[in-house]
Amino acid sequence: MDSEQARTWQVQRFAQRQRFLPSHTCQEESLIQMKEIVKVFENAAGKFTALKGVTACFDAGEFVSIVGKSGSGKSTLVNMLTGIDHPTSGSVRVGDTYIHQMSENDMSLWRGANLGIVFQFFQLVPTLTLLENVMLPMVLVERIPAAERETRAQALLEMVGLGAVAEKLPAAVSGGQQQSAAIARALANDPPILIADEPTGNLDTRSADEVFDLFTRLIEQGKTILMVTHDPQLARRTTRTLLLSDGELINPWIAAAFPEMGHSQLLWLTHQMKPAVLGRGARLSNLEMAPGLLVVSGGELVIGDARHGEREIQLEAGAFLCAEDLHTIAEQGLQVSAGAAHGCELLALDEAAFSAWLQHDRAAEAGLERCGSDFNLRWGMGV
Amino acid sequence: MRLRPRLQKVLSDLAGNRQRSLLVLASIAVGLFAIGVITTIYVVGPDDMRSGYAATNPPNIAVQALLFDRCAPEHIAQTPGVRQVEAVRYASTRLQTGPNDWAAIDLRTAKDLANLQIGTVTVVNGKWPPGEREIVIDQYKLPDTNAEVGDMIELETPSGKTKAVRLVGVIQDLGIGAFRGAGGFFNAPIQGFVTQETLEWLEQPQPKRYNTLLLTVQGDDQDEVYLESVAQQVREELERCNVQVISVATRSSTEHPNLFLSQAILAVLLVIGLLVAFLSGFLITNTLQAIMNQQVQQIGILKTVGARRYQVMGIYLLLSLLFGALAFVIAAPLAPQVAFPVIDFLTVQMNYIFYGPRLVPEAVIAQAVLAVLLPVSAALLPVWQGANISVQEALSGLSQRNPPNQGWLDRKLSGLRRRSLLLVVSLRNTFRRKGRLLLTLVTLTLGGAVFIATFSVRVSLLDYVNQIVQYFLADVNITLDRAYRIEEIEGLIRQVPGVKQVEGWMFARTEIVLADGSVGESVSLLAPPAASPLVKPILVAGRWLQPGDRNAIALSELFKDAFPDLEVGDTLRLRVEDKETDWVVVGFFQLAGKVSGYSAYTSYEYLSELLNQPGRAVAFRVVSQSPNLNNLEQEALGQAVEAHLSRNGIRVVDMTTGKHLLKTATDGFDVLTSFLLFLAILTALTGSIGLTGAMSLNVMERTREIGILRAIGASDKALMRIVLTEGALIGMMSWVLSSLAAFPISELMSDSISQSMFGGPANFGFSPIGYVLWLVAVSALAVVASVMPARNATRLTIREVLSYE
Repeated sequence: MDSEQARTWQVQRFAQRQRFLPSHTCQEESLIQMKEIVKVFENAAGKFTALKGVTACFDAGEFVSIVGKSGSGKSTLVNMLTGIDHPTSGSVRVGDTYIHQMSENDMSLWRGANLGIVFQFFQLVPTLTLLENVMLPMVLVERIPAAERETRAQALLEMVGLGAVAEKLPAAVSGGQQQSAAIARALANDPPILIADEPTGNLDTRSADEVFDLFTRLIEQGKTILMVTHDPQLARRTTRTLLLSDGELINPWIAAAFPEMGHSQLLWLTHQMKPAVLGRGARLSNLEMAPGLLVVSGGELVIGDARHGEREIQLEAGAFLCAEDLHTIAEQGLQVSAGAAHGCELLALDEAAFSAWLQHDRAAEAGLERCGSDFNLRWGMGV
Repeated sequence: MRLRPRLQKVLSDLAGNRQRSLLVLASIAVGLFAIGVITTIYVVGPDDMRSGYAATNPPNIAVQALLFDRCAPEHIAQTPGVRQVEAVRYASTRLQTGPNDWAAIDLRTAKDLANLQIGTVTVVNGKWPPGEREIVIDQYKLPDTNAEVGDMIELETPSGKTKAVRLVGVIQDLGIGAFRGAGGFFNAPIQGFVTQETLEWLEQPQPKRYNTLLLTVQGDDQDEVYLESVAQQVREELERCNVQVISVATRSSTEHPNLFLSQAILAVLLVIGLLVAFLSGFLITNTLQAIMNQQVQQIGILKTVGARRYQVMGIYLLLSLLFGALAFVIAAPLAPQVAFPVIDFLTVQMNYIFYGPRLVPEAVIAQAVLAVLLPVSAALLPVWQGANISVQEALSGLSQRNPPNQGWLDRKLSGLRRRSLLLVVSLRNTFRRKGRLLLTLVTLTLGGAVFIATFSVRVSLLDYVNQIVQYFLADVNITLDRAYRIEEIEGLIRQVPGVKQVEGWMFARTEIVLADGSVGESVSLLAPPAASPLVKPILVAGRWLQPGDRNAIALSELFKDAFPDLEVGDTLRLRVEDKETDWVVVGFFQLAGKVSGYSAYTSYEYLSELLNQPGRAVAFRVVSQSPNLNNLEQEALGQAVEAHLSRNGIRVVDMTTGKHLLKTATDGFDVLTSFLLFLAILTALTGSIGLTGAMSLNVMERTREIGILRAIGASDKALMRIVLTEGALIGMMSWVLSSLAAFPISELMSDSISQSMFGGPANFGFSPIGYVLWLVAVSALAVVASVMPARNATRLTIREVLSYE
């Protein structure tokens, strides 16, 4: 790899890291706060835990994609947010409202006023025209004055490009048009939050693009959009991504560090890597374990040459060091320590567990193909 | 067995939605149940009536004569064609039912009551036969006596004294009213049985003499002509013995006296049975259509894994059969549980013996055939349509065959949306599936129409009863022991306070003289003054009697039944007091049809002249100064009149109030009207379950839509409003249609009854009660049927709703 290619790659890696980085941990002022959400479904076959203690927060104005494989729990997570379903345990707060405590009736009215929901299968009322479908939430919630409802519905349909077919029944227009009408309906009561469950899952590429462009415009207007998708292309265009696997959120730093790694490996690491904190300037050797894999989750990790003090590199959150890197560092007599300004937060896996993992899980090895390259590249050793 | 896994899938889907499956099952079962009840009554009622009657060895010929002791029964038994003969004595007297109350009673006796050969009786309670100074009474009018077994009963003697006999037993005599001259079962007085010795003690003249011969025949006892010929020979034989015959009547051994009434009931049952079968058919088509709509995705899946059209059809047709079979299992044992108590209830009302619950193959077969045919034929169209759906269509749920178009109604409704979009939602939903709507409406309309019609038929019968009042306008009817001068009696009666008007009527018991010279049925000939205001007849042909008429006669409609060729203007020969006289028929009037006997009216002036009794009368009609007296007030007036006449040495042999006469004349209608009420309830039940099923399925089908509405902000109130409006709308539409359809249906039912009872079409009756009740029922059902599934739907979380299939 020449240096130009290397730089390009580095930029891409950085961009990927940025996408998985949470803008912040849960703050009191977060618009949406989900804490320790557990959802257990019961049927004849037994119990199935769809969400296993998920905690996530969202700020106003964010455009967040929630991705994961089929059955990972992403739709269930969104259903908890919309009140379409209730958590078995945990809490969901939107603004000042704890929606998990509301009755179905109160929830319905609150939802009509505060959330716009877009479904994968559009879910328009088949007997009403597109215009009437958009008017319906206004009639149900009665927030928009009656005299303005039709004009507003027409304007919303114009906005989504359906002005000309406003009087048609849903079945008389294309799937893309139906989804656009569903988005117009979701905006009927001007809710601050839009929640979309696979909104483009049933659309062709062109229609999907149009829907996504619409979402982008809505973000510019200050809406908050949470979107479930399995389309990585679409997820990349959002400002943040939550990765769900088997009912759990994958640690965003781990997801950022190993974008090529499979979800089950990422989840394994999320479970196994232990958080560690190095104080300002503290040496890595101060860690109580001999690490096999390190992921920076906060502050900086500095690698310096004691003999040539001017030569050092700084690893920021989302960067990682694996056993191979640590071996090279040791061989070259380099020092690894926390940044002098903020110290460093780490996720660490001890060396024995790391080697055992690599031996047992071939896929893990494949996900760590570039192990050491980050450090080597930056150190100028080539890879 | 290749279909087994797929069939299992379908079955488990259905088991998974128990509410819907139960509705379908209930819809089919209620239809089968109604058919089962109707068929059981239809078969068992007349069967038991015929066989019970035949088991009493009923007389085929009854001869009434003046008291005789000549011509021993053994002698008459030698007459060709005669099998058995029994001589019987009937005596009419009065029984005291209260301090001043009397009721007519016919006492029957025979030489050996313990060994009655002809017209045997069934002991209901107590002892049989009665001993000396004891009496046994028939159960039907026992309540009129106010006595129980063990009580003493006061009977009037011909001299006007009373003597007490002990009531020792209650029997059932199936032969009451068998001979029409007596006025039929309902008009017959209380029937009592006493020994000849008791009769003697009761001071009846010549107690060992007889006045009736009962005979059975050898050979075909169903052949009317044969019976008539044997009867004629018997008459001739009796006359050869100088026995003065009053009347001769014939009847087959299986023709129970109330069979005509059961035929009227059967006619209604038949009409309702057919309507219920139609109703069930629509109901099942409707419900199966709903199931097929919900199974579309399953069909898509089946087709994806290789199922061909016939296999898909096979599965669902088998499924409908399964529903039919399950419904049969529910309905077949339930139907007798209702049918037999109804039959049992009618035994006393219609005087027959119920031989107990039993397997009625006709009912089981009818239910089984319908359980197979109805669901399968009803499912055929929806299954065909469902099986023809393309995989893509089935899986996506998007129909490509019927591109949506907005019709006139949709455009009109758009105009409403500014005022009430929720109303538009309800209206659009109502009219969304026009085929389904039509089926639902047809089902509900039929159910409602039959319900309303039964009330109208009931009213037409009750109207009829009210019309019969016009024959009983007098408050009190007095019969004296002999003919008195009218002026004398009128003067006496007018002295009683409260009496407004008195009329003397002539009365004669006559017989029809047939074309061959033989004597036929007895006729009650009444003769009010020609311009009497106390009779306002319901004329069905011709005119009423006019002053100046000579041998003019107006006949009851029963004559039309027996002599269809008899027309206004024809001459009828009657034997009046041994004299054969010709009468010109001037009109036919409607009385109580076959419930009453043959009766005729002529003018007092002519009959009194004919009987050489001018200015004299036996019967008197008394009218009170106060209009609309009730029965008790009429009785009080009658007792006052009777007491006053007695004080003046005039003996009253019978005093009956107008209201009492009306009641006995219309008792038969009560049986019919209460039976109609039962049928109305049965129909309402069928209709109600149909309505509940159809509407619940409508709402269930839209569970997903309810979820969508929930997701976009619909409160419980808004959802209920939408669903209820729709339910109410369908309910109202069906009510309007039912109201219209009720007219021809009630006409059909009334005519069927009327043909059986009167031999002619019925008067049209209109009952607002039926309309109002059905409106209330349909509204209540619409609410219940819509709210229950809607409440269930709102209780589901939206996740469950959106995954509902």
